[in-house]
Amino acid sequence: MLENRSLGSAIYRLVLKGAVAATARPGQFVHVQVGTATDPLLRRPFSIAGIDRPKGEVTIYYRVTGRGTALLTRVRAGETLSVIGPVGKGFTVPAAGELLLVAGGIGLFPLLALLAAVDRLAVRVKVLWGGENRRFLEDVGRATLFQMGVDYAVATVDGSMGHPGLVTDLLQAALAPETAAGQQAESAPSGGQAGALVKSPEGRTAITVAACGPKGMLQAVAACCGRAGVPVEVSLEERMACGIGACLGCACLVRTAEGTPVRRRVCKDGPVFDGREVVWDETG
Amino acid sequence: MKPVDLTTRLAGLTLKNPVMTASGTYGFGEEYAAFYDPSRLGAITVKGITPLPRRGNPAPRVVETPSGMLNAVGLENPGLDEFLTTYLPRLEKLKTPVIVNISGFSLDDYALMAAALPEDSCIAAVEVNISCPNIKQGGLAFGTDPKSAEAVLSATRKNTKLPLIAKLSPNVTDIVTLAKAVENGGADIISLINTLLGMRIDIKTRKPVLGNIMGGLSGPAVLPVAVRMVYQVYQAVRLPIIGMGGISTWQDAVEFMLAGASAVSVGTANFVNPLAPLEIIDGLAEYCRQNGFTAVREIVGLAHR
Ligand SMILES: Cc1cc2nc3c(=O)[nH]c(=O)nc-3n(C[C@H](O)[C@H](O)[C@H](O)COP(=O)(O)OP(=O)(O)OC[C@H]3O[C@@H](n4cnc5c(N)ncnc54)[C@H](O)[C@@H]3O)c2cc1C
Ligand SMILES: Cc1cc2nc3c(=O)[nH]c(=O)nc-3n(C[C@H](O)[C@H](O)[C@H](O)COP(=O)(O)O)c2cc1C
Ligand code: FES
Repeated sequence: MLENRSLGSAIYRLVLKGAVAATARPGQFVHVQVGTATDPLLRRPFSIAGIDRPKGEVTIYYRVTGRGTALLTRVRAGETLSVIGPVGKGFTVPAAGELLLVAGGIGLFPLLALLAAVDRLAVRVKVLWGGENRRFLEDVGRATLFQMGVDYAVATVDGSMGHPGLVTDLLQAALAPETAAGQQAESAPSGGQAGALVKSPEGRTAITVAACGPKGMLQAVAACCGRAGVPVEVSLEERMACGIGACLGCACLVRTAEGTPVRRRVCKDGPVFDGREVVWDETG
Repeated sequence: MKPVDLTTRLAGLTLKNPVMTASGTYGFGEEYAAFYDPSRLGAITVKGITPLPRRGNPAPRVVETPSGMLNAVGLENPGLDEFLTTYLPRLEKLKTPVIVNISGFSLDDYALMAAALPEDSCIAAVEVNISCPNIKQGGLAFGTDPKSAEAVLSATRKNTKLPLIAKLSPNVTDIVTLAKAVENGGADIISLINTLLGMRIDIKTRKPVLGNIMGGLSGPAVLPVAVRMVYQVYQAVRLPIIGMGGISTWQDAVEFMLAGASAVSVGTANFVNPLAPLEIIDGLAEYCRQNGFTAVREIVGLAHR
C-alpha cells in the first residue's frame, strides 16, 4: 500500500502496488481484507478507479460507511494488504462514437478508469455526475475531472452546484439535445465546459452510456436509455462473500435474449451488466 | 525423517488427506482453480443440487455477523440434469474425488437423485443434505425429525452403491438422536454441522437485512457448537465423522479431529483466505510431526481418552 489519504466527505483514496495492475481493466474490482482478525470477517469489494500499468499501481476510492471501511482508514503506507483481484467483468471500451458516463456519488470512481482507457481522439466523452451537494463534489473528484480535461456537467440534490436535481435529468437532456440540453448546460455555471453537450448529429446512433451509482439511479438511467434506444452498461453492487463466484451470495436477476429471467453473479458475471437485461425489481 | 501419513479412511473411502471443502462454499470446483490445483485437496464437495433447477432467494443473500456470516442463498443450483451433462464432465477434469451434495423436498426427490448419480465417475460419495435452513418446505424438516431423517437415508441407500454421507443440522435439541437415526437408515458417514438458523436487522431501515429474512450462520462464530456436536456424536455412533463449522486454521482442524472427526471440511474460510485448505493440510502434517504422530489418523478422537 502506497497511499491512504482522506479527501474529505469521508472519502479516502488508496493506492496499491502489486500484481493486480498488470491485468486490471476498467469496471473490475478488488476484494480487500480489511483486518487480520475474524471480526469483521469478510473481504470488502472496491472498484478499481485508476490503473497505472507501467508503475504496477491501482487506485481505489472508498467511502467510510461501517466497520470495515473504518478499519481500512488505519492502514498506513508501507503496510501490506491482502487483495484478491482484479475480479469481475468490466466495461466495454468503445472505439468510436460518443460515450456518456453517468455517475451517482462515488459511482464516479470506476468510471474514471473507463475514462482513462478510452481513446479520446476517437471517442467523444462526457461525464454527467450527480451528488448531494457542492461540498461533496469538490472534495471527491471535481479537480480530478478538471485535470483529466474531460467535458462534464454536474447536478446536486440541494442545488448548490450545477443542475438542481438528479443526474438523470442531465442524461435525459443529453439524449434529447434539441429540447432541454441548452438549459441544463447553463444551469451548471461552475461545471467547467458544460456547454458542450452531446449533440453531434452524425454521432447520434453511436452513443453509448456507462453508469455507476445507487440502484435507483441505475434503474432510471437504464429506462432513459431504453426509451432513447441507446446501449447502456451499468455497474451493479451487491453484498458479497467470496467475490470470485463460488458462494452465490451476490446474485442478481437478468433477462436473457429470449426473455427468461436468470440469475447472474455480480462478482463474476458482472459487476458490469447490459442495462437492458437487468431485472430491477424481483418482486415486480 | 519419514513424511507424516495424511491419508484418512471414511467407511470405504480413502482420501489422500483429510481436508475437503464444504458444500456451497466451493462452487462446482473451478472457482478456486485460479489459486491452486484442487487435486491437492482430500476431496471437494460441490454446491447442493436438487432434481429441478432452482433460482434461489432474492438479494441480499449474505450479511456479516460477529466472526461469521449469514447466508440465504436458498439452494440456487442448475438442477440434476444440467449437473450431469455440463458440470460433471468438468469436475472429472479436476482429478480429485468429488462429493455431490443433494437436497430434496420429498423422499422421491432424494431417491431419484441417488439413482441418477453415476457410480463409475469422479463422484466419490453422495452427501445427503437434510439440513438446509434456507428452503421453505423439506430441507430442514427432514433433518430435525429422526423418523424422516432415517427414511431419507434408507430411500437413498436403496438406489446407490456410493458411500452415503448424512449431513446433519445443528438446529436440533439432541444431535445424538439424529445421528443414530441416520446410522439406522444406512448412512456410511456423518458430516456436521450445517449452518445455524439466524437473522439480522438493519437498525436504520428497521427491517431484516436478508431478502429471505432468516439465513444460516457459518464461520468462526459457530466453531464451538460444531466441535461439541462432533464430540457428542463420536461417543454415540460408530460411523466416521466429517467435521465442519468455522474451520479456518490448522489449529481448528486439529481440534475437530481430537473431538472425533476423521476428516474436516473448510467452508466460509475459503471466502476470506482462498489458500486456507492448503495451509490446513500443511499445518496438520506439522502438528503430527512435532507431537510424534506418524499418521494423522492417530489423533482422531484423542480428546475422549
Ligand atoms: C462491485 C462493488 C464495488 C464497490 N466499489 C466501491 C468503491 O469503489 N468505493 C466504495 O466506497 N464502495 C464501494 N463498494 C461498496 C463497499 O464494498 C461497501 O461500502 C463496504 O463493503 C462497506 O463495508 P463496511 O464494513 O464499512 O460496512 P458494513 O459495516 O459492512 O456495513 C455498513 C453499511 O454499508 C452498506 N454496505 C455493506 N456492504 C455493502 C456492499 N457490498 N455494497 C453496498 N453497500 C454495502 C450497508 O448499507 C451497510 O449497512 C462496492 C461494492 C461492490 C459490490
Ligand atoms: C454460502 C453458503 C452456501 C451453502 N450451501 C450449502 C449447500 O448447498 N448444501 C449444504 O449441505 N451446505 C451448504 N452450506 C453449509 C456449509 O457446507 C457448511 O456446512 C457450513 O457453512 C459450516 O461450515 P463453515 O463455518 O466452515 O462455513 C453453505 C454455506 C454457505 C456459507
Ligand atoms: S460473492 Fe460469492 S458468488 Fe459473488
